[in-house]
Amino acid sequence: MTVVLSPRRSIRWTSFILGGGSLLAAAAFAWPFFVSAVPADAQVAVPIVAFALIPALIVALALTVDREIYTAKTVALLGVLSAVGAAVRIAGAGVGGVEAVFVLLILAGRVYGARFGFLLGLLTIAVSSLLWGGFGPWTPFQMFACGWVGAGAGLLRRRPKAYSSNERPRSATAQRWGARGEIALLAGYGVISSYLFGLLMNLWFWPFAVGAGTDISYTASADPGQNLASFALYSLITSTLTWDTVRAITTVVGIALVGPAVLAALRRARLSPAR
Amino acid sequence: MVRLRLAPLRAAVVLAVGFVLLRVVYRVVFGGASGVGTVLVELPRLRLDGPFSHVTMFGPIAVVGLGNAALSALPVAAVIVFFGLLNAVVNVQALFARGASRGPLRAISRSLVIAWATFPALLTAVRRVRVARALRGERSIASLLVPVFEQTIERALALAASMESRGFAATRVVTGVCEAPIVLRDAALSFGAGPDQTNWHLDELTVTLVPGTLTVIVGATGSGKTSLLHSMSGLFQHFYDGVQHGRIDIAGVDRASTPPRDTAGFVGLVGQNVRLGFAAETVHDEIGFALAVRNVAPPIVHARVLEVAARLQIEHLVDRPIERLSAGEASLVAIAAALVNHPILLLVDEPLANLDAAARERVVAVLGQLAHEAGVCVVIVEHNAREFSRVADAWLQIQGSRLHEISPEEIQTTPIAEIAPPTPIPSVAAEPLASIRQLSVRHRTELAVDEVSFQVQAGELVALCGSNGAGKSSLLHAIALPTGADIVVVAGRDVHSLKQRTRRQAVALVPENFDDLLFAITVAEECRRADRTLVGADTAATFAHLLGFDSTADAAPLLQRHPRDLSAGERLCLVMALQLAARPALLLVDEPTRGLDHRARALVSSALLTAAGQASAVIFATHDDDFARGLATRTLRMRAGRLETPIEVLS
Repeated sequence: MTVVLSPRRSIRWTSFILGGGSLLAAAAFAWPFFVSAVPADAQVAVPIVAFALIPALIVALALTVDREIYTAKTVALLGVLSAVGAAVRIAGAGVGGVEAVFVLLILAGRVYGARFGFLLGLLTIAVSSLLWGGFGPWTPFQMFACGWVGAGAGLLRRRPKAYSSNERPRSATAQRWGARGEIALLAGYGVISSYLFGLLMNLWFWPFAVGAGTDISYTASADPGQNLASFALYSLITSTLTWDTVRAITTVVGIALVGPAVLAALRRARLSPAR
Repeated sequence: MVRLRLAPLRAAVVLAVGFVLLRVVYRVVFGGASGVGTVLVELPRLRLDGPFSHVTMFGPIAVVGLGNAALSALPVAAVIVFFGLLNAVVNVQALFARGASRGPLRAISRSLVIAWATFPALLTAVRRVRVARALRGERSIASLLVPVFEQTIERALALAASMESRGFAATRVVTGVCEAPIVLRDAALSFGAGPDQTNWHLDELTVTLVPGTLTVIVGATGSGKTSLLHSMSGLFQHFYDGVQHGRIDIAGVDRASTPPRDTAGFVGLVGQNVRLGFAAETVHDEIGFALAVRNVAPPIVHARVLEVAARLQIEHLVDRPIERLSAGEASLVAIAAALVNHPILLLVDEPLANLDAAARERVVAVLGQLAHEAGVCVVIVEHNAREFSRVADAWLQIQGSRLHEISPEEIQTTPIAEIAPPTPIPSVAAEPLASIRQLSVRHRTELAVDEVSFQVQAGELVALCGSNGAGKSSLLHAIALPTGADIVVVAGRDVHSLKQRTRRQAVALVPENFDDLLFAITVAEECRRADRTLVGADTAATFAHLLGFDSTADAAPLLQRHPRDLSAGERLCLVMALQLAARPALLLVDEPTRGLDHRARALVSSALLTAAGQASAVIFATHDDDFARGLATRTLRMRAGRLETPIEVLS
């Protein structure tokens, strides 16, 4: 079963589009820092542009990759796994926002690659928002941030091939240590992505959350250094110390507990043949 | 498209109020709550330094300041409530269902439809696995999440195979010729030289099948019946990474170079577990799936669905949601879905496995009609082959790595291992090992088990017989996890009052879906896990013993495998070993023979005998009377939730 339908060149082309789109989206996330760079009478338009750009980018990227993932196995795995992700996310909301969905995004992204991880992040948010009716202007931002978490896991260093035909199989001990190293790598990535996710989600919402008139407010006229310091303080008390830390712990514990078994299950159902 | 659901609106209002409060808090903490007029509290100002020197915390808090803060939050709060209202009214899900069959986002839309349809299955899986882990005495998160996840992956693959074989994502139109549905010329099948593959292979396959015939392929479990079938459907070569040599032509099309999706127009496939392969939400959409993915206009799809349904006499099911079908109905719907393109060739994998007698007869008759009246070339893989003797035109048997044509008389020649049945236990023993007293089970309004009482003596191997739905499983589950005091007493102790660990020393159950108990990545780790809290337990040795090995060392290659790579019979033995780890006085096994061939059944029956030696008594439920007769010391018969008068079989 092959996943790649189109020739190699078009894959590179879509990787380029995905990368470029992500960069643009990152810029839209960081809109507060761009405001001072534009002429004064255009400053009001910046948040509006950012808010329109993110959903438009999602649609554009979805249109770009849709043809490439149009195979039965990819579509079925994507659908079923995003249902699992959404269920985990909604179940987590019931127990005080213990977000365990990163465990799935990271493990699936690791096994099936960046493109799949990105789409899984997108769809997990879409499905869970559909399910409990939480669609809003924030949804596209969540989709992108979760997509990046999954994609990042797919871009991590590949593990050395556990077995290849022209060299001796590695010893059982070496394999076990290799597997542990992989889990440690993913857990470490889980911590970093948990905090980065929190920062990103704070970044675009910060001016709305605090409003004007406080000392940590976003001030268009102030120099970037001061805005950065204000944002850091806002982020620290809003989520870094609380939600993000809980999320990081959940992710590490989750990856340590179910990581090996879930990786094995995903690899047993691999998308494309290894040989 | 439009409907009213209040929950999203309620959630949005809560969110909006929270948002306003949060903004007030930010203002209070970061010096933004001052203002003219009444000052409520005068908090000391706190100036930060370093990069935060522009920030002053706290300060005076005025009524006006608080009011301003709240007012300034209102626009955003209004946006939140507005979207809550939209969510409450617009049904976005319906939009995706529409986009799944056509348009530029059909892959992603189809994924969303699948995600949506997966939720009910996910909830069922969670419920079942929670029971399974209570049975195993596990509390870890992994013991819940891993089996649920494995089931989800299994569903994804079954679904993908069924979508692929029905033309999902087909890129070109291939036409087949009716005259030669199947021609295999000196073909050979294997899984290549991979590191973790067994060296299974089939060689010298030369077969020609003509239209209007029904052929049954038989062979032991693991002999490769399903792989042979899928070498015709194309899934073997293009989905399961199999390697084909020689030539396989399906309706004149080269199988090695043509994926299943391109031949969906003339090859119909009904998979093993049909429910896992359902891709739509209603019976109508399921039957019409193969047409919808080809962009056939909805009125034509509708007409064809009704036509096929009429042919199989299932018109009354067409509007039913897909999850509300009995096992027999699900099989017929899957057959209808495979017929919607009017195939030249229909491939069916174990259609009778989970059906009761009435449904089996119906399915056999339908398949016979398709071959002999509609002229379809039907190929069936089945190990309960006897039932097809009335309608089959040819029999093919896999022996070793070769395929032979056999005569109807030669079916079922696989020798059943001779087992000396244990001698019946005299029923005069003074103290019964276990007594079940007036046990009832109620599922919602339905009474599944109705005041059942019986006793079991030490050393007994009791068969609990009865048809599907008689209440056997409910009874066994209620014995293992009783809901009330003094209903189940084993070795003088009331099972209900026991703690998890001691309960498993009294009674342990191997459920029908025994895979739910497995969650490690090697068999050895699974065994270690079972031994963990028990003194002197050696589950690996028990496992080897149940498989008939003399020592644990003989089972060493199996211990390094992934539990789910074992054969069904071996997996059942593994779960029995896990459940025997706590040395239960009474071991319960639910439907141990389901889907097993003769050799695996022989393995399981000797394992049950061994288990009866390790536990003090064993009760197993089965709907297979032949199996029970050769094995049990006593047979209990259940019908409609009640126990019929016990009959002494071997007296």
